[in-house]
Amino acid sequence: MKLNRTYLFWALWAFLTVFVAAIGARALYVSGDRTAFLPGDTTGVHHQFEVACETCHTSPDFSDTSKITKDLNKTCVTCHKDELKASNDSHPIKKFKNPRMAAYWEKIDARFCTSCHLEHQPEDTLPGMVTLAADFCVACHSEGDQDVRKNRESHADLGYETCASSGCHNFHDNRALYEDFLVKHGNEDWLHPEPKVAAAALARDRPRGGEDEISMYLASLDAIESARDADIEHEWAATVHAANEVGCASCHAVDADTPEEIEEQWVATPSEAVCSDCHRAAAKTFALGRHGMRRHPEIAKPRKAKSALKAIGIKNPPESLVSAIETYLVDPAPPEMMSTAEARVSLRPDAIGQDLTCTTCHNPHSEDVNFTAVEACLTCHNDDHSLAYKSSPHFALWSAELAGDGPAGSGVTCATCHMPQTEKGGKVLTNHNQNDTLRPNEKMIRATCMSCHGLGFAIDALADPALVANNFSGQPMRHIESIDWALKRVEQPATDANQ
Amino acid sequence: MYNNFGKLKAAVLGGALALGAMQPATAEEGLDYQTVSDLLHLVMSSDRTVYTRMIVNRLAVQEKVITASEHFEDDKALVLPAQMFRFGSEMVAEETDAFSYSLLSLWPINKQNAPTTPLEIEGLEYIAENIGENFYGTEELGGQEYFTAVYPDIAVAEACSKCHNEHKDSPRTDFEGGDVMGGVVIRIPMD
Repeated sequence: MKLNRTYLFWALWAFLTVFVAAIGARALYVSGDRTAFLPGDTTGVHHQFEVACETCHTSPDFSDTSKITKDLNKTCVTCHKDELKASNDSHPIKKFKNPRMAAYWEKIDARFCTSCHLEHQPEDTLPGMVTLAADFCVACHSEGDQDVRKNRESHADLGYETCASSGCHNFHDNRALYEDFLVKHGNEDWLHPEPKVAAAALARDRPRGGEDEISMYLASLDAIESARDADIEHEWAATVHAANEVGCASCHAVDADTPEEIEEQWVATPSEAVCSDCHRAAAKTFALGRHGMRRHPEIAKPRKAKSALKAIGIKNPPESLVSAIETYLVDPAPPEMMSTAEARVSLRPDAIGQDLTCTTCHNPHSEDVNFTAVEACLTCHNDDHSLAYKSSPHFALWSAELAGDGPAGSGVTCATCHMPQTEKGGKVLTNHNQNDTLRPNEKMIRATCMSCHGLGFAIDALADPALVANNFSGQPMRHIESIDWALKRVEQPATDANQ
Repeated sequence: MYNNFGKLKAAVLGGALALGAMQPATAEEGLDYQTVSDLLHLVMSSDRTVYTRMIVNRLAVQEKVITASEHFEDDKALVLPAQMFRFGSEMVAEETDAFSYSLLSLWPINKQNAPTTPLEIEGLEYIAENIGENFYGTEELGGQEYFTAVYPDIAVAEACSKCHNEHKDSPRTDFEGGDVMGGVVIRIPMD
């Protein structure tokens, strides 16, 4: 009897082990929730698609390490290639692929993003998602021809932990920090004589139609009778949409041509696709930022049961098995839109629970720049920098512009710095990736700061965390010496050489 | 990679036949590393000379209608000949591992273009001392054996020596037309 009980215990143990292993293997290799297998939280905004493992992990199961590394790194570039290209990357992968760089591969292998940016290691991750020690520059720039202490007299006593943390250098983006640029803009005053953002001025200076024109336009509106609203129509008539002959049916009945078709096809709340169909550049950049990332086309779709079964050797799975998996064990997918409830930045409690769509910030019928560029942001954002905005000099300039006391483009809104505008062929484009001028914040210098400020002031201001926190109310308390050193080197050339 | 290399050899062979640069040979025989490297260099140095003489030297030095600048985007200027060469080599690096090339010098304005391997140093010194000769060798880098060729890079126009002599970061300022200013290094991984 005693013996039988022991056997029974072992049998039960074996059964439970196999059962648990089967559940785990099924989730890993076929379908189902895999969050239990996350080796650690993802970093930064990657949490937005954390459950879609195949976004980054694209190698077939049981691939060798070399293939996994290559595949994984390809996915980084898939999403980040445009910003790396725009940054005029100082350390592009292509530069390190040449075999003559083999000696450097052993120090930091810059052919792979993961050499510096490892995922799922939140406790070892520095700003910029760096997972190396802060003095990583020492690996290559401390000996031979690349020794910066020999190449630059000014750098002789500097610690390598200060290279990328001082406001002087970045690994990738040095567009506003390279030596000749520092020299070229080194003697600028802190503020230009007529500070304004040219693209914003162009957008805000748009000529408005006369009363006759507006009356004619209003008479031509094609909304269905039950949806007519005089207030909405008057607001709409003053918009850029109206000036470009966009009518009610353009959005509410996209495919309709006749009044009958408009009546038949009318949609009270058009989808976001209606906006993005025309505003393609805005939609594309929106999907690159934190607000709209869930729309990024490279986020992996849930695994298909049939293909997953095939990959583990079940070539002709019974339909009943496939449909059972698809019904009960489907992969979790990230929601289609980012919600404020999932945000990892400080937000106002009363803003929690909103989905982020075009109309969260853009009133569909009116063109209220103050709401879109300021109030919409402050509806949610609750950090020191945001809360200090309305007592900042930038807000005072914006208030003056709104009141007609300042020229167009002289006001500085949240969007001025975080969603900068550019002019292309007479048209003004707004970058809807609200993060494009951050990470690191020196990316903002050329895109926005230098429209109004001198380079030296901009570098100092962005390197002063207290000034950033109080939304630039005051002067920088830090001074970054890079311009002084660059100017000195030009004015008193030493025997040292470049780069 | 083997297939790519096979295609490369065939393509180079086709180009060479079209140019009449060598005696006809069958594709099956293939070409040795040195011949492939010499032909690649012929294309590179011809394009490089054309760009330097007919674009940069003509427009920036002789006619002075536009400048050439390292910061060509910011300065709305022509790409420097050395940059044009490097951009081409980086584009090749993105496409294939079948060969790689770079423009190096014992007197580089940009320190990134200083030699990094013992064979690069030996090759650059050899072509500087033995005017008109190329240098060939093999070396192991990152666990792979490479055929490495170093070809002299000559100051083919006034723009070359003028810019290098006047640049604040140039370690040598006495270049003259026709001088060896550096070398083109071509590497082919050996089977």
